[in-house]
Amino acid sequence: MSRIKFLASTVLATTLTAGLSSSALAATGDPVRIGLMLPFSGIYAQLGEAGRDGLKLALKEHASELHGSPVEFIELDTEAKPSRAPELASSMLNQHKADFVVGPVHSGVAMGMIKMLRGKDTIMIIPNAGSAAATGPLCSPNVFRTSFSSWQPSYPMGKVALEKGYKKVYAISWNYGMGRESLDAFKESFTAGGGEIIEEVLLPFPSTNFQSHVSVIADKNPDAVFTFFAGGGAVKFVKDYDAMGLRGKIPLLGSGFLTEGTLQAQGEAAEGVITGLHYAEELDVPKNREFREAFNTEYGHYPDIYAVQGYDAGQAIASTLDQLNGDISDKQAAIAIMEKLTIDSPRGKFTFSKAHNPIQNIYLREVKDGVNVVQSIAAEALEDPARGCKL
Amino acid sequence: MSTELFFVQLINGVQYGLLLFLIASGLTLVFGVMGILNLAHGSMYMVGAYLVWYFVAVTGSFTVAAILSAVIALGLGILIERMLIQRLYNRNHLDQVLLTIGMIFVFNSLQSILWGNDPYGVAVPEALSGSVPFTDNSSYPIYRIFAAVICIAIAAALYFLVSKTRLGMLIRAGESNREMVEALGVNIKSLYTIVFAIGVMLAAISGIIAAPMSSIVPGMGESVLITCFVVVVIGGMGSIKGAFVGALLVGIISTFAAVLIPTMSNMIIYIFMILVLLVKPQGLFAK
Amino acid sequence: MIFEKRTERIFLAIFFLIALCIPLFLEDNSFFVGKVTTILILAVFVMSLDFLVGRVGLVTLGHALFYGLGGYLFVILTPEYEVVNFWIYAFYVMGVSALIALVIGAVVLRTSGIYFIMITLAISQMGYYFFFDSLEFGGGDGLFIFMKPETSIFGLNFLNLDNPTHFYYLALLGVLITLLTIKIVLRSRFGRIIEATRLNPERTEALGYNIFAFRLISYVIGSTLAAYAGLLFALQYGYVNPQFMTWEMSGTALVMSILGGMGTIYGAILGTITYEGLQYFFEHVSEDWKLFMGGAIILMVLLLRKGLAGYLEKLLEK
Repeated sequence: MSRIKFLASTVLATTLTAGLSSSALAATGDPVRIGLMLPFSGIYAQLGEAGRDGLKLALKEHASELHGSPVEFIELDTEAKPSRAPELASSMLNQHKADFVVGPVHSGVAMGMIKMLRGKDTIMIIPNAGSAAATGPLCSPNVFRTSFSSWQPSYPMGKVALEKGYKKVYAISWNYGMGRESLDAFKESFTAGGGEIIEEVLLPFPSTNFQSHVSVIADKNPDAVFTFFAGGGAVKFVKDYDAMGLRGKIPLLGSGFLTEGTLQAQGEAAEGVITGLHYAEELDVPKNREFREAFNTEYGHYPDIYAVQGYDAGQAIASTLDQLNGDISDKQAAIAIMEKLTIDSPRGKFTFSKAHNPIQNIYLREVKDGVNVVQSIAAEALEDPARGCKL
Repeated sequence: MSTELFFVQLINGVQYGLLLFLIASGLTLVFGVMGILNLAHGSMYMVGAYLVWYFVAVTGSFTVAAILSAVIALGLGILIERMLIQRLYNRNHLDQVLLTIGMIFVFNSLQSILWGNDPYGVAVPEALSGSVPFTDNSSYPIYRIFAAVICIAIAAALYFLVSKTRLGMLIRAGESNREMVEALGVNIKSLYTIVFAIGVMLAAISGIIAAPMSSIVPGMGESVLITCFVVVVIGGMGSIKGAFVGALLVGIISTFAAVLIPTMSNMIIYIFMILVLLVKPQGLFAK
Repeated sequence: MIFEKRTERIFLAIFFLIALCIPLFLEDNSFFVGKVTTILILAVFVMSLDFLVGRVGLVTLGHALFYGLGGYLFVILTPEYEVVNFWIYAFYVMGVSALIALVIGAVVLRTSGIYFIMITLAISQMGYYFFFDSLEFGGGDGLFIFMKPETSIFGLNFLNLDNPTHFYYLALLGVLITLLTIKIVLRSRFGRIIEATRLNPERTEALGYNIFAFRLISYVIGSTLAAYAGLLFALQYGYVNPQFMTWEMSGTALVMSILGGMGTIYGAILGTITYEGLQYFFEHVSEDWKLFMGGAIILMVLLLRKGLAGYLEKLLEK
């Protein structure tokens, strides 16, 4: 009985001390505090881990640019749950006094973070969430993105489809921000050139009951299929598509996430899938080859786009600190510097648009022998229109 | 919708329904006999899928991996029942709910630690990887047909077990009157262990069968859990026959709803369940 | 006396004493003030659930529907950039929630047991999908509340909701009022019939009481309190998202309530603090915090037969 009492009081005591001591930690020296608000558990954990690994690698490589300022990481697991977003962001801002907050993966969490961090004395860098609003109506001077906007990878694919002679396309995705925005972007360029979307299907997110839809595709026999799916959904869709015998019969096009981080799980089913993305693992850019080897040496496996985006967030931070001689206290100066940066990214050099979204190339890739092979540049230096942004 | 497409969708629906039955059967069996609501049932499905992926990577053979995974799942079920579930027989249902929720946390965390968070795939075993040509463009995957057949076989085996064997007799007796069975000298504790372990194994086997057709990702247990509950509730808690009918209904309805009203298709299952409960508040084949 | 048990009185006295003084110690740290505010808001939510599950005997996995609705109704009912009066709009939000609860309750209370659990879960999931799929209500990304309401009563303005400490006290007031409301209801004649309905429905019905009506009214009360908690939650950071009404949210509240001690009401406060405290602690200790969290939950279920409150009572009740 008393052992339990002892256990209970220890737990309570440690909880209190943990809470109090972590605020004491923030006072030593002049470290650069980088908060990581990413999912480290749950379905998006892979993306969170990749982003973090990329970020840390960049800071390790560019350590000299920090001019001696130590780096302190604060990592909080968002679980991709929007209900915790404002609280965790508040923890970063108010409790840990983070200079940079890097995150999130999930767009719902991004909204919660932006609500808390917008206009505050910290710089938020989004290493994944593609929601249009973040560099659209909710854009803010202290919010940057080193990933993409949902429009970017899909918009050039419309032109690609037209050039390949596809007139009737079946479009399918999940019924949420990223899905809708991707299909809309494809539609924008595809229909402008005379193409016809014979059917657009939005599935409840994150349902993976694709079998019935794949059967419909077989029945309708379009010229091609355009889709956005990511992660587990992408794996299943591509496999179901192949199992139904459609691979090689009806071309499958997609926003690049269809084949990012999923090729091993998809296996042969992914052969021939054509996608557009701002990166490809075999991209013939010297920085890319360096980066991939360095990442593999550090972590024991090769990186994907999610790691690249995290890496570039790290590079942005390092370059900014370099120009500030390691002193991050003046956030306005930091923002002014960041806006003018050219990031030497493994995806090719890019700069930030006025809305703080990358202006980047979109590459046309085709899966050959388990690798996304770059066929061409589908769109060069593509800038998201940032509709609604007042910057 | 052409008749050809209708027929294909019907097969899709039945096949999906059969898999749902396999998943749900363990849940309803355990509840019916032991009165335990095992919220960690979805986690067992996940464990089956991850185990088979792991063993396929290690041994290269799907059959070996499947058998190994099923056996491990059986052992896991025995372990869990002996160490945890057994302690809660005299507690109220909510404590059991709480325990199984704690188990979900633990299993999800173990999955992340042991196998990592990348999405995984299991290739369809060579022998079953062809497809049956259907139209000019498409063909129906043989593996899906195989999966459906396995589900039917297991359903038949379950039926045989419950209605024709001594164990089945004990199960049916234990469902209606626990004290009586105990008084008759049967070791109810062992019975419960066996039943729970079978329930876990059934969930794991459905994970194994589904593995080549799905993606193996964190959280896959929770996504089947709800559908599983809906099936069991529609069929009537504790009734295996009910779970079979419920699963087929849910499978067919959600397949057709997905193509006819895609954006609403997730709600359709709930609406159907609510309608069933309003007419038969204890499910279709309630005990 | 509405607080009959000695343990209850001791716990609540200590709790409110500490709660009143905490902001003084956390003066500079708006994160911590925010954190304890959220815990208080959750406590209101969990107390309302404990009332329904522990006292009325209605185990619902759809309670978070009202939690989410509290916030969404505020967004829907108020003009976007206007500063409205908190008390008036809290009244509106609770009023509409009560109506919704009445309609839903009239349907779901025809079932019981596991079926009731499932049907409430189904309805909350449908609510979730409705808001997730909607473009007008922000969809999966949610919506912002740009202007916090003001809190004047007859022209007297004493709480500025943009100030985290003031908001904290509003939440604490919420805890007090919810606690008192539930306790008074339970001590009344109505409450006694509810208790009887839970313990022996057939007998109570045989005595001539319309238990459906009693349950319905209780369901409305519980759901309305949850909506109030949800309103506070949304206003705290000015953000609503459909994820607030998922079955996982309901499930977490249920866990907190069972951990604290089902049916004790004050146990709900204890359970919320413990759960949140444990999660905060484990999160900062390890990336695999879920493992420890699950382990802690399992341990507590096995060792504490009647939850934390039950354990405290064993120690303190003579």
